[in-house]
Amino acid sequence: MRSFQYARPETLEELLALLHEHGPAAKLLAGGTDLMVRLRSGQSLPRVVIDLKRVKALRAEIVETDAGLRIGARTVMAGLIEDRRVRRHFSALVEAAGAVGSVQIRNRATLAGNICNASPAADTAPALLVYGAIANLVELGGRRSVPLADFFLGPGRTVLNRGEIVESIDVPFASEPSGAAFGRITRRRGVDVAGVNLCCLVKASGQTLFACGAVGPRPFLAPDLESLIAQASPISDLRSGSDYRLAMLAVLGRRCLAAAVSRLQLAMTAVEATCNR
Amino acid sequence: MQPLSVAVTLTVNGQTHALEVLPHHTLLETLRDGLGLTGTKECCGEGECGACTVLVNGRAINSCLMLAAEADGETIVTIEGLCEHTPTGGQAPLGRASLAGPIDNRPPVGNRPHIGPGPLSRLDPLQTAFLEKGAAQCGFCIPGMIMAARYLLMGNPHPTVTEIQDGLAGNLCRCGGYSRIIESVAAAAEAET
Amino acid sequence: MIGQSAIRAGGLERVTGAQKYTADLRLERPLDVKLVKLDCARARIHSIDTHAARRVEGVRHVLTAAGIGFPVPRYGPAYADRPVLAEGETKFFGEPVAAVAAESKEAAEAAAAMVQVEYEELPAVLTIEAALDPASPLVQDPELRPGDRYAGTNILNEWRFGWGALESGAGLVIENEYTFPMVTHFAIEPHAFLAAPDPNGVTVWSPVQHPYVLQRVVAAALGWPVSKVRVISPDPGGGFGGKGWPKFEPLMALLALETGRPVRLVLTLEETFQAARRASARIHVSTGFESSGRIAFQDIHADFLLGAYADIGARVVSKASYAACGPYRTPHARIVARALFSHTTPSTAFRGFGTPQASWAVESQLDEAARSLGIDRLEIRRLNLPSKGEAFVPGDTPADGDWAQALHKAAEAIEWGTPLPKHRGRGIALGLKSSATASVSFALVRLHHDGSASVMSGTSDMGQGARTVFTQIAAQELGIPEARVTIVMGDTAVTPFDSSTSASRSTVFMGNAIMRACQDIKAQIRQLAAEVFVVPADSVVVSDGAVLLPDGQASYAEVLNAYYGSARGEAMAVGSCRSKYVAEHPLGGNPAFWELMCVAAEVEVDEETGHVQVRKLVLASDVGKAINPRHVEMQDEGAAIMGLGHTLMEHLILDSHGRIANLGALDYRIPTIQDIPAAMQSVLIENGDGPGPYGAKGAGEGGVLAISAAIGSAVREAAGVAIRDLPLTPERVWRAIQERQPKPQQGELTYG
Repeated sequence: MRSFQYARPETLEELLALLHEHGPAAKLLAGGTDLMVRLRSGQSLPRVVIDLKRVKALRAEIVETDAGLRIGARTVMAGLIEDRRVRRHFSALVEAAGAVGSVQIRNRATLAGNICNASPAADTAPALLVYGAIANLVELGGRRSVPLADFFLGPGRTVLNRGEIVESIDVPFASEPSGAAFGRITRRRGVDVAGVNLCCLVKASGQTLFACGAVGPRPFLAPDLESLIAQASPISDLRSGSDYRLAMLAVLGRRCLAAAVSRLQLAMTAVEATCNR
Repeated sequence: MQPLSVAVTLTVNGQTHALEVLPHHTLLETLRDGLGLTGTKECCGEGECGACTVLVNGRAINSCLMLAAEADGETIVTIEGLCEHTPTGGQAPLGRASLAGPIDNRPPVGNRPHIGPGPLSRLDPLQTAFLEKGAAQCGFCIPGMIMAARYLLMGNPHPTVTEIQDGLAGNLCRCGGYSRIIESVAAAAEAET
Repeated sequence: MIGQSAIRAGGLERVTGAQKYTADLRLERPLDVKLVKLDCARARIHSIDTHAARRVEGVRHVLTAAGIGFPVPRYGPAYADRPVLAEGETKFFGEPVAAVAAESKEAAEAAAAMVQVEYEELPAVLTIEAALDPASPLVQDPELRPGDRYAGTNILNEWRFGWGALESGAGLVIENEYTFPMVTHFAIEPHAFLAAPDPNGVTVWSPVQHPYVLQRVVAAALGWPVSKVRVISPDPGGGFGGKGWPKFEPLMALLALETGRPVRLVLTLEETFQAARRASARIHVSTGFESSGRIAFQDIHADFLLGAYADIGARVVSKASYAACGPYRTPHARIVARALFSHTTPSTAFRGFGTPQASWAVESQLDEAARSLGIDRLEIRRLNLPSKGEAFVPGDTPADGDWAQALHKAAEAIEWGTPLPKHRGRGIALGLKSSATASVSFALVRLHHDGSASVMSGTSDMGQGARTVFTQIAAQELGIPEARVTIVMGDTAVTPFDSSTSASRSTVFMGNAIMRACQDIKAQIRQLAAEVFVVPADSVVVSDGAVLLPDGQASYAEVLNAYYGSARGEAMAVGSCRSKYVAEHPLGGNPAFWELMCVAAEVEVDEETGHVQVRKLVLASDVGKAINPRHVEMQDEGAAIMGLGHTLMEHLILDSHGRIANLGALDYRIPTIQDIPAAMQSVLIENGDGPGPYGAKGAGEGGVLAISAAIGSAVREAAGVAIRDLPLTPERVWRAIQERQPKPQQGELTYG
């Protein structure tokens, strides 16, 4: 591995100043599960690696607010999966986080890192999209919030400015009962990068939301499967052919919809049971 | 322009080490080359094979994907320290050997065939089970496999077969000993209760 | 002891992390080596400038072909065709053009990056079609094989085997072409090499399966006597053939001698992909059948794509094609097999040694015939199987097992013939591999003065459990507890000669050698006892570890101590086992035994996605005698899981520059613990009819031989698609299903 300098700021201000100072020569290190691979292969050759894990203002915890859950920048996939509230409100996000790598990877990989890498195949992105997640960004000059639907620009590209980072991710509670399901297509059953991934959300009102990844330059959202498929522009690469990806998008869409509907029914039964009590 | 080395303090298998590491050195390199703990293995170098699995603050991680600098101040357990330094349901010694001290080089006794007097130290129930069920073939993946299995049992003392598979999905065994590995983890879980 | 599943010798070290693999060894003040490689397969090297690299702090040596001097030493187990560093032209992606030795890994890596190579990429031969195209460039310089009739082509060699007359009539002729992908060994231990000068010459450490081949090849490359090269071979962390034959050891020996220092090189996993692979193959088969289902003829044309250097590839092709007709009576046969050069990773031995490729084609043909003739797929195999003792390759080792038994046991375990739900299917196939021919093992057994024993063996224990099995054999033969036997392996300075750890030969050959040495020792003990206790030798019986005398009994220790007194001393014997070299035999001799396995599989196919799930796998192997049943079962299961890899997911993908596109674990997918069959069952057929100790035959490769055909057949039954190209990836199965079904009209898809 090529050498670099290692910085470990403890305050947000220090971190943002460092990022601003080094610009593209700096790489931000959270869980490292993507960055370390790129450092080893030489795809990424930063002058300085800035470890954000000791920045106290960036949280590893998930905080509940009136509107939803706020997931800190240092929250790892395992943290999401193990969190009772995430499991109750955002089961498809738990499914998606559970699909990321192995146990060892999920103990290190952060949700924020997963979206900041902006891989078209990022497994958590479709779930965050259907749940209407919002990324809270911070830079030296201030803060802003960006809906996840507007966050991704293309492979490895996001709306983040130079010196700007994701401070937390808000996932709002649903206003009505809903059911959601995540699915993916891989080359083997065990740990694999998704050839296609998809998340479907169905609300009691009958409204649906679909989001998918690996079938275009960025993960995206659509109100129904037809328009999702219409928006897809998959490429052929060594993982999948574009026609296969497109066909699998339809298969996953149908399967996830069916799973989401049955989960919605369960949720509604649960609501009824509560009301009748 | 050699970057400055970073001073780190690692607690590895109960022992605290103050080390100077280069910023780009992985925890894996530091364990193997710096501390001589070669039980942790390197294969893919990108977190796909699990051969380098260790516990950092009680969590299983791939030590090839962690900088040594990141591990500053952390508590690490490797295969060499597994038995003494991880919470288990009980440190079961080899069933057929009477173990008086930490090291026992006496040939084992009893009816079960056991070959070769080796460095019989106290074993984690997982190590005993892997040995008795014959889960190790070439053995290169086994330290990482056992560390991942230990992490699984720490959080889930009675895993189902599917849960064992999920817990060990990040550990490749090219000898294809997976079915014995599943049996061994199940047996260790049983032995710990 | 024999027939019991003794715990693995070395098992404790493996579960505690104490086992020392090559990369775990620490030599004093070693130099780290980094190889310099180009970013394409084939390139003309105009110049290599090492000045900047030499100036990097800590660099001790930068070696290039020019620095070695011409001619650059060439090496190889069969043909000395591979230069220690590329000379003038690189011939495959990953071939080193220079090597840097430095005081640290960092310095070696930094310097390697600063070696300036001016080169021009040249068109590369990457496929079988290209290799056979007369317009393609030649991979091998014709000057390397003067007088060779194929020197002007990319054919390394061609073999023709056969008997009978193909013109004989057949009611049904099935003709198809099958392909088998390039796959790589992916041992979890990447190759590692150390070398150091020593007072006698040079010592090389390598996790090599055949230390004596390595010794011979390194000595030849250096132009030295074999006695000046010592090979230390720590237990490999997985071999599978990929660590059989020399890789970078000759280069490392040179670097050690030129620097006067120990040198070490640990490959990355990516570099192991560039160091060893299985030959891909295209096999065209025409099989004639009588209406009864009996085979009338087999006409097999196989092209195997080797890499840029021969390695052991020629042997792979000749040996696999020789027995390509499988375990069947074939009245008329023609087998034409070619080994082709290409600008790719040199292919080498890989578990099954060419047979998985041939078996995929030949076994699939039987299924196709069974369907055409309306015969059960089990039945068509049964009626073509030779009986035990029947010659099936004319003039060669006859069928040496009750092979129908394996077929029937596997069928029974998979519940052959019972109904299955939709989208499920079963398949069954046989795999047969020729075992070692013309090879020899020596074992030195020492019975120490205290009655314990040491066995010196040149076998490598790469996970198959050779050390355990040898312990069991020595303990059994000497009548002493297994705990009192020590097996010493892995050092040519200590262990006597052994041909190789390959071809499932060690239990038979080394096992017999150990057994014979133990018998010799018992005979010596009788003589010593007779002499020292003054009794007739024929009145002394050595049994179960005790020396029975006319008027009492003594232990080994008592006999040795009575004989040697305070001098101590010991009894020592060399045993050997050889299969005869036959000059006129195409393989150099008759196979010592046949390795046979029947695989039966039940699969479920997801028709929408093409995913194949193996629900049950049965492995029935004809092993003669399982000295350690658990070890045999683990080898069988492990081989089958490895075979699942090339059947369902593994293939090296090359880009247009001849680079491996899926270089590394991220995109070269091998089976994980989540990919194994939901149920697996091993059946060991033990009739004591093998040539090894207690009637054992070799085992450990069977599982990889026939699994592709069994699964392919099951997929066909489940989904109605015949696929003749491996691997059966979800996408490939899906495409076949799409072609099977009429495509839906535009807009016909309904969602939800």
